[in-house]
Amino acid sequence: MTGKSLRVLDEGQGEYLSVDPDQFREWTGRKERALVAKLMSPAEAVSRFVADGDYVVWETNYLNRGPATLIREVIRQRKQRLWVGGKFTWVIVAMLVEAGCCDRADLGFFVGGPAVTRAVIEKKLKVYEYSNLIMTARLRAGAMGISFIPVRSLGGTDNFKYSGAKLLEDPYTGKPTVVVPALNPDVALIHVHQADQYGNARIFGTTITDVESALASRKVIVSAEEIINTEEFRHKPGLTKIPYYVVDAVVHQPFGAYPGECPGLYSSDSNHVVEILGAINGDRVKQYLDKWIYGMASDEQMLIERVGTPKLRELQRRATTVAAEGYRA
Amino acid sequence: MIGKGPWSEAPKAASFAEREFQVCIAARLVEDRKTYWVAGGGGPMYAVLLAKRLYTPDVIYVAEDGVIGAEPMLPFDPVMTLAAARPSYRALMWSTMNGIGDHCAAGYLDYGVLNTLQIDPYGNLNSTWLGTYGVEGRRFNGPGGADTIAAMCRRVVLMLDHQRRKFVPRVDFISSPGYLDGSPGARERVGLPAKTGPWAVVTNWALFDFDEGSRHLRLRAIAPFVTLDQVLAEMSFKPLMPPDGKVQTLEPPTEQELTIFRTEMDVSGQFTDTAAHWIVKEGERWSVVAKEQSKKISPL
Repeated sequence: MTGKSLRVLDEGQGEYLSVDPDQFREWTGRKERALVAKLMSPAEAVSRFVADGDYVVWETNYLNRGPATLIREVIRQRKQRLWVGGKFTWVIVAMLVEAGCCDRADLGFFVGGPAVTRAVIEKKLKVYEYSNLIMTARLRAGAMGISFIPVRSLGGTDNFKYSGAKLLEDPYTGKPTVVVPALNPDVALIHVHQADQYGNARIFGTTITDVESALASRKVIVSAEEIINTEEFRHKPGLTKIPYYVVDAVVHQPFGAYPGECPGLYSSDSNHVVEILGAINGDRVKQYLDKWIYGMASDEQMLIERVGTPKLRELQRRATTVAAEGYRA
Repeated sequence: MIGKGPWSEAPKAASFAEREFQVCIAARLVEDRKTYWVAGGGGPMYAVLLAKRLYTPDVIYVAEDGVIGAEPMLPFDPVMTLAAARPSYRALMWSTMNGIGDHCAAGYLDYGVLNTLQIDPYGNLNSTWLGTYGVEGRRFNGPGGADTIAAMCRRVVLMLDHQRRKFVPRVDFISSPGYLDGSPGARERVGLPAKTGPWAVVTNWALFDFDEGSRHLRLRAIAPFVTLDQVLAEMSFKPLMPPDGKVQTLEPPTEQELTIFRTEMDVSGQFTDTAAHWIVKEGERWSVVAKEQSKKISPL
């Protein structure tokens, strides 16, 4: 306890995205501070702000308010060698792996199926093991501008061995404590209920880890169901969850979370979700990608021609007749 | 653990599915005026909801996405049992994932309820990989939020199917921590909060707890429709026996439990459907009936 050096009792062997808060500050120092319009199409946003080799995070996609349109655009543009934060990510890691977009993943919860098992065994996909909350803590540390954070879970598991965690003698209590490296992703993809043209954003319902992801990431693409006037933010500033200066691109995308739910606005298209789950478990992800992504020039076309307006109206009706309370300004 | 309760006097059901039985047993373990962190959908959430409805009205549960104290709009849409409007309805707070993690680390979350794929004698769980990690076998979903729940809730209830391949001497991969090697202080030595760990295991056939000294899995009670030999034969290691040597018999579901479960929760049979058998009472005997063929396969 009185020694001058910190004792490392154990450490994981997993590679982790290098951490340097000062380098991150260099980056944020170059970002635009003025209120400038950032509206653009999904194709332009992904083309400009997602590069091959980037580390990308997102949340609960195809489940709840996920950036589904943006992820489909990443796949459509055939981005490569992405390293992804696959926590609470549901079906997307399997889609990115089968699309050839991703070769590294830090994992919490996801549905992988035979494609991911195969990619891991054939060493086409490197995986590092965390959990949803540990990835969340790493993003929080990244958002705080610090390099690591102590956590009260992960110790004793095999995830620890395949992660970037360390077990230290806590310099304050003298007890063992696990610390994990901060995460400053290259890109955060976030879908929200409302944004203005500058990137101020409102989320109704739980924010899961979207706010931390936005603050921790170098480049932030926000897609929004609705673009509203900045005056509205000034009337109710307490509702703003993401401040404009962390945001690089704003995409106006109604049904941007489809086939997931956007609470208060539309329900999940359960049949579609079951289709992708079936495709993953039945090793038919490529056919799914052809049908819903490669075969469509844009999500605009997919929503109108493949899903259809009657279906979209039905999803809206189902969301607004039940459980819509709390999702309005 | 489970003693007499309101269910003891209530009329019992004459037929039910094994998974329905499992949910009812888990529901009877729920303690009122406590906080629960339930994992995803399925058994854990149904057990707490059923208990809240019938036995423990003041139990509060939280979900990983940040929902605290919801009064969910039932039934849920297929697969949408977490992070969606219906399960989040009429909550006391919509927080964040870090928020729930903080509340748990600070000690506000009393119980966790989890599903798992594979378990060992010390309650360590595998939901990551069956086989040799990264080399051969099959990748599964990973710990999700279970690692956190297993690490930091004060007491953890585990739910899984009663099968030989699921109760193994050593899990292929520790996704979520139990008592690790079972030695005193094993959890504290790797930074986990003191006085936490697995507390009960509920299967479709049996109820277990953990011996306080050795932290080894211990059988407490079995379903009325199986024998002790059957229960032990479907485990790849031998559990400890109850301190008094008496394995109790669990009471079957009540009609009321099943009515609520079937009409408000598992309305499509999605949850129970995956278990292939119905348990049917014929006279004084329980029979196991294969659902698909609707014929008797093993009279007891």
